[in-house]
Amino acid sequence: MHWLYLGIAIVFEIAVAIAAGKARGFTRPAWTAATLVSGGIATYLLSLALLTFDVGVGYAIWTSVAGVGIAVLGALLFGQRLDWRKLLGIAAVIVGVVGLQLSGVA
Amino acid sequence: MPDTTNPEPEERTRMSTNHPTSGHRARAWLVLLLAGAFEIGYALCVGGSQGFTVLSWSLAAVVFFLLTLFALSVALRTIDVGIGYAVWAGIGAVGAALLGPVFFAETLTPVKALWLTVIIAGVVWLKLSDAPEQRRTR
Repeated sequence: MHWLYLGIAIVFEIAVAIAAGKARGFTRPAWTAATLVSGGIATYLLSLALLTFDVGVGYAIWTSVAGVGIAVLGALLFGQRLDWRKLLGIAAVIVGVVGLQLSGVA
Repeated sequence: MPDTTNPEPEERTRMSTNHPTSGHRARAWLVLLLAGAFEIGYALCVGGSQGFTVLSWSLAAVVFFLLTLFALSVALRTIDVGIGYAVWAGIGAVGAALLGPVFFAETLTPVKALWLTVIIAGVVWLKLSDAPEQRRTR
């Protein structure tokens, strides 16, 4: 169950990044509200995940996988390039998360 | 910026908008480091809130959430987004991993530390790949 909570928290954290970008330094009220609401939902689900995960472990997976999601969505929706540098970073995050899972500490 | 100078209008525009002064840059970096510290506080308080059932930790989490968001947005007015996010995310993740065991009944074993290092290095590298030098070489 803690992986499900973390997964949903990651989806909302990706929404925070997109909304915060569109809020332009929080000068646009609707996107600012979207940032805060998404952030609130992401935070609550992260807190549920952290009932099981160590804080350091759950937080690192949450923020990093969200970062991967933002890079991938940026490529799919906003035409940003996924060059070898980004793919290397994405690969490292995936290897690290799988490593944590397989070694039984996450 | 010393207020005794009286630059030409063109010069004044250049200094105030296009090229932040070194003092301005230093302040932005200080705010970014502060944002990273707030992010550590956010992570620890979200964990300590026990699913937002403990009032004091929950309130602290909300305060840190607003502080980290505000400080980051201020810092990113001056610092490049890719570099800013990399530093902010790196500080938050390393800080949460190191301080989690200080505040809670957790241990940072060598195996955990190894995989956390791989993950955090990965996300910092990923964010740095969005830095302006990388964008220019494309």
